[in-house]
Amino acid sequence: MTDATRLELSRALVVAGLILYVPANTLPVMIMTVAGDVAPLTVMGGVQELYDSGLAPVAAVVFVASIMIPFLKLISLSWLMLMHGSGDLLRERTTLLRVLHQIGTWSMVDIFLLGVLVAVGQLGILASVEAQAGGLFFAAVLLCSLFAADLYQPRMIWQPAMP
Amino acid sequence: MTDALVSHHAFLCPLCGANIHDKELKPGEELHCGRCGETLRRLHHGDPSHLLWALATTGLILWILANVYPILTFDVAGNTQSNLILTGVLGLINQGYWPVALLVFICSIAAPAVHLGCLWYVAGACCTGRRFPMVQRVAHAAKEIAPWSLVPVFMIACFVAVVKLDMLGTVYWDSGILWISLLSICSLAIAQLVDRQWIAKRMKELT
Repeated sequence: MTDATRLELSRALVVAGLILYVPANTLPVMIMTVAGDVAPLTVMGGVQELYDSGLAPVAAVVFVASIMIPFLKLISLSWLMLMHGSGDLLRERTTLLRVLHQIGTWSMVDIFLLGVLVAVGQLGILASVEAQAGGLFFAAVLLCSLFAADLYQPRMIWQPAMP
Repeated sequence: MTDALVSHHAFLCPLCGANIHDKELKPGEELHCGRCGETLRRLHHGDPSHLLWALATTGLILWILANVYPILTFDVAGNTQSNLILTGVLGLINQGYWPVALLVFICSIAAPAVHLGCLWYVAGACCTGRRFPMVQRVAHAAKEIAPWSLVPVFMIACFVAVVKLDMLGTVYWDSGILWISLLSICSLAIAQLVDRQWIAKRMKELT
């Protein structure tokens, strides 16, 4: 794959990720039914619920992993794409790209959480957990930003501008 | 061993193209590019392949235990449900969310196993000093699959799930979570130990 193709694909994936980020955060990820109490939960709703139950540290972990990291990753990638070809802040951009590689995977917490909750939420009328469309969008955002960061390689920051 | 014998010479940084003056490293030292910060070379204390092989073997055993024992049991009014990692995957498929199920399956079951298996094979070849069949391709596969192996993230998700379920009913830990935690520690240790440049160099030396 040529670097020009990599850049183009990477740009497309970042834009797709930014668009998908909206439904991923507004649509419910799951519907929890416990003892007849039906609660559709968005990603933020899950964080809110944890916070309201006095579990602020856990809420913070989920908030950072599933809301802040994907957002910061997409914003940082957009900035890197816009800066592509410029000769400024080369070293800082290289470090940023490395950091994005390291932290990106932590957003997967929410997908795994869904997996674990769906597994134990099979008690029929007593307690059930149903996955919802938000989960699909959320997974798509993660994959977009993961592949975008992977396609845009550190060495491309150091190469002279491409058309 | 051979690292110390490399003579002083200049080469180009593969990342930013800066001129690098090579120098002899003491064990544990690293050579970084002064311009972009890329790690160019590293000299290990001794030969890490035996330790890598031992960790990969441990990891494979822990992987089996983590997949065979239930993670947690959820209890609502006397009705219980316990789960394996695979139960979640099957649950998602049953509800029609197979893309999410596939992602969970790859990142928490398949990729860790393939990654550990590949490293086990490569480290085995390095230990014995023999060129096992297709060992270079296996080393390449290990490098490609590594970012998809997300057991530590899965472990965090299990802990969050316990906290969440505790609000709704009674949750009991099962032994699976212990094996998943140990597997996480093992894979983090492996990630620290694996040095791709060193492996690539060893691959060329194998007879």
